[in-house]
Amino acid sequence: MATDISGTGQDKSSGPLDARTIINFYRVNLEYKDQMALRDINFSVDNGEFLCLTGPSGAGKSSILRLIAMDAIPTRGEVIVKGMLATKMNRKKIALLRREIGFVFQDFRLLEDRSVEENVAFAQLVVGVSNAEIKKNVMRVLTQVGLHDKKHRRPRELSGGEQQRVAIARAMVNSPKILLADEPTGNLDPVTAQEIIDLLFRINDGGTCVIFSTHDHEIVKTFGQRVMIIDGGKVKSDIQRRQAVDRNARLTDKMFQAEEALHA
Amino acid sequence: MLKRAQFSYIVRESFAGFHRRKLTTGVTILIMGSSLLVLAVLTLATLNLGYLLESARASIDVRVFLKEGLATEEVAELQPRLVVIPGVQQVNFITPEAALHEFRASLGEDADILDLMDTNPLPASYHLTLNPNARNLDAVRAIRDEIAAWPESGDVVFNQAWVDALEAWAFRFQVASLIVGLVVFFAAVFVISNTVKLTMAANARVISIQKLVGATNGFIRTPYLMEGIIQGLLAGMLAMGLLAGAGHIFGDQVGDVVFFAPGQIAGFIGFCVLLGFLGSWSAMRKYLRLGSEI
Repeated sequence: MATDISGTGQDKSSGPLDARTIINFYRVNLEYKDQMALRDINFSVDNGEFLCLTGPSGAGKSSILRLIAMDAIPTRGEVIVKGMLATKMNRKKIALLRREIGFVFQDFRLLEDRSVEENVAFAQLVVGVSNAEIKKNVMRVLTQVGLHDKKHRRPRELSGGEQQRVAIARAMVNSPKILLADEPTGNLDPVTAQEIIDLLFRINDGGTCVIFSTHDHEIVKTFGQRVMIIDGGKVKSDIQRRQAVDRNARLTDKMFQAEEALHA
Repeated sequence: MLKRAQFSYIVRESFAGFHRRKLTTGVTILIMGSSLLVLAVLTLATLNLGYLLESARASIDVRVFLKEGLATEEVAELQPRLVVIPGVQQVNFITPEAALHEFRASLGEDADILDLMDTNPLPASYHLTLNPNARNLDAVRAIRDEIAAWPESGDVVFNQAWVDALEAWAFRFQVASLIVGLVVFFAAVFVISNTVKLTMAANARVISIQKLVGATNGFIRTPYLMEGIIQGLLAGMLAMGLLAGAGHIFGDQVGDVVFFAPGQIAGFIGFCVLLGFLGSWSAMRKYLRLGSEI
């Protein structure tokens, strides 16, 4: 059930598709073997929107990200990403779609035997960009994440926050329309986590739709963006907050209620 | 179309497995090379048996012994009738005297025994040389049966027992070679498949990231296919090298063995490359399946 507190009157739960919609879930179920991971999920995300998915571990947040990345196919219902229906996709189309989606994970997933520059360039290499373009684009994103002076370092020579910045640079180098961040702050201290979140906000400000998943309530409290609470494979709450709300403002009453629902 | 950066990545990664897992790759090539050596020996033996059979078939000839008491004209009329039989290339008349002379020559030192006979017991005969395509048991039997039905002909014989035995033996050998060949085929595919699986398991993280950033399966699989192909190529070359070396050392003891022609060597190595390709291909299905990246 979506709750609109933005004052726009817009219901974000899987309404009819319009030009702004980039992701749409309609009555989606996902089942792994005998276990139901998601039940009757309905929501849509607009171009350039920032969505925070929260809920306890095993709630189904990662399953939603897998469905968006078409790493899994819904058992029932429809998932549409950038106008493409998941059940009608072949491997080639999925590969092409993923060039427009960036991924960031809790464990960074960097290649330990390659430098920062090579890790970022790797994402460009597979999509067939020329050497000159790769060099230029890698330098651009490394500058954006503040690591241009560490491009020759190996991941193990960097702090956790820096490694996550490399992962974000790799996710952004192909200029994706969507950035999926699965617990990107899970391995970081609060200060570094906030830096990463700020970086994700800046990316969002540039027009990229960001789907951010976290189980950390403290982080959620700081959000002025849309927050969707997932529990037991269901959407418990989908709260659209006004973009103008200060990111560090206290939680509204509705957010408190949402958090209570999370703990219920 | 591959860009230069992608091409150099694929080439580099194709050889990366050799560099990172020298021992595993070396053992794989050694095991596969040894299995392929067995296959090469069997193939060479089959090939030589084929040559032997061909030469035995080339020596197949038919002797038509004539009944006694035929008039000279009746004997002469037979020649054009024999020439037109399909499969007959040449017809030579052997007089009783020529047959005796030939027989005496074949007896060598024991030829004196013939002096004990008052008369020549050997009948006149026609010696038929056959076309190459008629030098097989079915064709020869058909020719024999046709001529044996003529009233003028007596016994119609050919060196049947020897060719029969050789053909039966060759068939059994070919079946055995085929069975061993199939075992070697699957063993080689299995060995290569396991090595490539090891490479892919070691690169599981890389593959997962490749899939996440939108690499097509074709791009991901090419370096691993290349690795399998290179392993097959090296194993095939090793098998051929060992066989040629053994031939060089033991050549005198095995007699007139005909070695592979250059085209056959290329074919054998091409087969090994195919084994490498199939091994890699079968190893990759698990890793290129959809899912499990996130």
